[in-house]
Amino acid sequence: MTVNVIKRWFAERLPVTGVQLQELTNEPVPAHLRHWWFCLGGTPAYLFVVQIVTGILLAFYYQPSPSTAYQSIDTITNQVAFGWYIRGMHKWAATLMIAAVILHQMRVYFTGAYRQPREINWMIGMCLLMCTLVVGFTGYSLVFEQLSFWGATVAANICDTVPYFGVFAKRMLLAGDTYNDNTLSRFFILHAAVLPGLMILLIGIHVAILRLQGVSELRFENEPPDAPQHFDFFPDHFYTELIIGLILMVVLSVLATVLPVTLGPQADPLTTPEVIKPEWWFYVSFRWLKLFSGTFAVLSTGFIVFVMFAWPFIDGWIRKHTRFTEASVWIGIVGVFLLVGLTVWEAVVEH
Amino acid sequence: MTLQTKRYLIGFLGLLFLASLVLVQAMEIARKREEVGLASGHVVVPTKSKSCVECHGKSSPGIIDHWKFSTHAKKGVGCVECHQAQKGDVDAFTHYGELIATVVTPKDCGRCHEKETKEFTHSHHAKAGNILASLDNFLAETVEGSRTPFNPHSPTPGKPDIHQVNGMASAATGCMQCHGSKVALLAKDGGKITFEELKPDAKSGQPTNLDVLDRIAKSEDGRPKFHADTWPNTGIGRLNLDGSLGSCSACHSRHDFSPRRARQPENCGKCHLGPDHPQKEIYEESKHGVAFRDLKDHMNLNAKDWVLGKDYSQAPTCATCHMSGHAKNGGTITHDPGQRISWTNRPPVSAVLDTDANGKLVTEADPAKRRSLVTFSAEEKRTNMKQVCHHCHTPDYVNAFYKQYDDFVINYNEKFAKPGTSIMAELRKHDLLTKTEFDEEIEWTWFYLWHHEGRRARHGASMMAPDYAHWHGMYEVAERFYMQLIPQAREITKHAAESGKADQAAAVNKVIDEILARPEHKWQERQKAHHAER
Repeated sequence: MTVNVIKRWFAERLPVTGVQLQELTNEPVPAHLRHWWFCLGGTPAYLFVVQIVTGILLAFYYQPSPSTAYQSIDTITNQVAFGWYIRGMHKWAATLMIAAVILHQMRVYFTGAYRQPREINWMIGMCLLMCTLVVGFTGYSLVFEQLSFWGATVAANICDTVPYFGVFAKRMLLAGDTYNDNTLSRFFILHAAVLPGLMILLIGIHVAILRLQGVSELRFENEPPDAPQHFDFFPDHFYTELIIGLILMVVLSVLATVLPVTLGPQADPLTTPEVIKPEWWFYVSFRWLKLFSGTFAVLSTGFIVFVMFAWPFIDGWIRKHTRFTEASVWIGIVGVFLLVGLTVWEAVVEH
Repeated sequence: MTLQTKRYLIGFLGLLFLASLVLVQAMEIARKREEVGLASGHVVVPTKSKSCVECHGKSSPGIIDHWKFSTHAKKGVGCVECHQAQKGDVDAFTHYGELIATVVTPKDCGRCHEKETKEFTHSHHAKAGNILASLDNFLAETVEGSRTPFNPHSPTPGKPDIHQVNGMASAATGCMQCHGSKVALLAKDGGKITFEELKPDAKSGQPTNLDVLDRIAKSEDGRPKFHADTWPNTGIGRLNLDGSLGSCSACHSRHDFSPRRARQPENCGKCHLGPDHPQKEIYEESKHGVAFRDLKDHMNLNAKDWVLGKDYSQAPTCATCHMSGHAKNGGTITHDPGQRISWTNRPPVSAVLDTDANGKLVTEADPAKRRSLVTFSAEEKRTNMKQVCHHCHTPDYVNAFYKQYDDFVINYNEKFAKPGTSIMAELRKHDLLTKTEFDEEIEWTWFYLWHHEGRRARHGASMMAPDYAHWHGMYEVAERFYMQLIPQAREITKHAAESGKADQAAAVNKVIDEILARPEHKWQERQKAHHAER
């Protein structure tokens, strides 16, 4: 009786029935998504939610100024109840999120899912990759330990090498010509408000376009011709996503407890560390910078990013005007080898 | 995968995640318990120490409890690792199958903490036991007690077994618990066997004079007995049987070796307090001490390295300024506090703390000769200290502070300390004082002036405590000088003149007159007039 009253109360105010909701969400899902490795697109989004929740909890205690930032992180890690766990989850989720975004993009690339008519969504995905990397960078800088401080300083100096635009970019990054009292608050606003807000918007558009266009469908060679080509989103695919989500939570929990996040020495602007290294996801560009002169390395990195953005169109032109229709696969393989090779190279050498 | 299988998998993973949260909760509780001192961290008991922990856990549980909270316990350093002895060590004995020694000396700690032991051995702290010829020692052993036992002069009700009075009791309980005892084994005849007789080898610490070994009194289980005047003792300059100097537990407290405790002023306050060197009280009066009391909870005292400027910046403690690492020296800790001290305010007249290759104060006055002798200058030491100051104060501020401090010490030296020293020397030179110390009133007066009030004043100035610098310091120095030392010296010369020593009396009076004729004493014309009348 009471349940019916509540149902009627809501029905009068929200004119959507359960059946209509089911129709809205229960879109047929292509059969290839039964394979879990095709479901990586949801993983970064899931980790993004973890980041927002843990980030809000950390923001209750974090103080973004050079005199208090390090101490507040230390307080979170060593004094606040469960602070070490939340910080561990946040840090490990960031690491996994960047890895998941890269893996998702590689899957989209090698299956050609970026091709017409999905070029716009590829570019939005590229924007999300850039946002993820910048969020990672600003988040690492907020810790204000020696390496994160000098990492930010090096990044600002790299910006400086860009002709014409460099000085402006450096000023925008540091809120001045050098690292100053306002730099950390700028990083914090970017990390905790501007970039997450932008990412929510981009993810919304990314998913909306995906729903409007539908997921690109793949066929396997050994697939029986009469095999069903679709299955229900709910509950079948929803369960798969839930399983991935739970596995991620267990993995994050284990990582946060078995490999707890540490805190290096506090930033000292007067003492340059002997070895400065960024977080692992920038190893590739850091090694690239060391291989070439500053300006060339920065401009070539910019060019590579531009090519990645425009790849659906470049690939379309190659396929249309040349006989190298599988060129994207070989270029992709070279790209992955370069990515992994340069990252490992930077990881194993001291300088 | 069927839907049913997926449901089971979701259920299983959900439970697994919940289990991980339960584990996290357990870890958090353990962390909080450890934080508030209700539980120790993960303890690793080495195999060799298992039976020690088991047995002493029942017989002397405090020791084991302390150890369980130590970093040693977490790193698997047990009882045997520190107490182990080598065959041939004079104090070694077999205890349930392990060859051990009761006293753990810096030589033992140095097996793992080599750098720290080396620094400490070089420090003035390690030499604190060498006070045999000092006035303090004479006071405790002779004036306050007696170097030879004496008979009680009336019974003590309830203690019928007192047949002899141990006149060294004041020295053993007072001086030696800070300065360190000369650790002695009990001889069969009741005497002491110290390192002086054992002549330990410099490297191994084992005795080279083996003739002494037969004289050592031992308990039934073969354990060498210690002379109760010298052990137990944790004085910082303890003279150990193996020839090493000092006791690490003076600051680090056995058996938990708490870095947290060593970082707090109360730890130093075991010795650095009281009327003659109230450094702890001075610190408490200073803004540094006030800030520490207020901000102690934020000072990260449990941090691993506790580096100023990295782990904390709220306030300095004794350890911060004199020993701990800081961000400007790369976090380098020193166990020689003398590395940052530029004046020694210990003697009657403060001296610039230039030291030679052996760490000894250079007293040479000739500038060229002095330069050739000095290997570690007071200026370098001051620079070391200034680095600490610069974490919170600008260079101008620090330099101005040191100007105030130098001016204060020099004023004390020139106006009271050097004149007082001259007067006392002149009295002795002319045999107007006996050779025995403290048998004449003026000797007590002079001792109070430099040893108590003079030090209080100088230490007060060195650590920003205005009340100690003035009211407990210079005010009392001045009062003691003008109202006691000078009148008592005059009194002595008066009696000397009356008893046929007119020349000697005149010589001393000449020195006093010259001193009082100086511009800084001229305000005291009436005292001079009074003397003339007499």
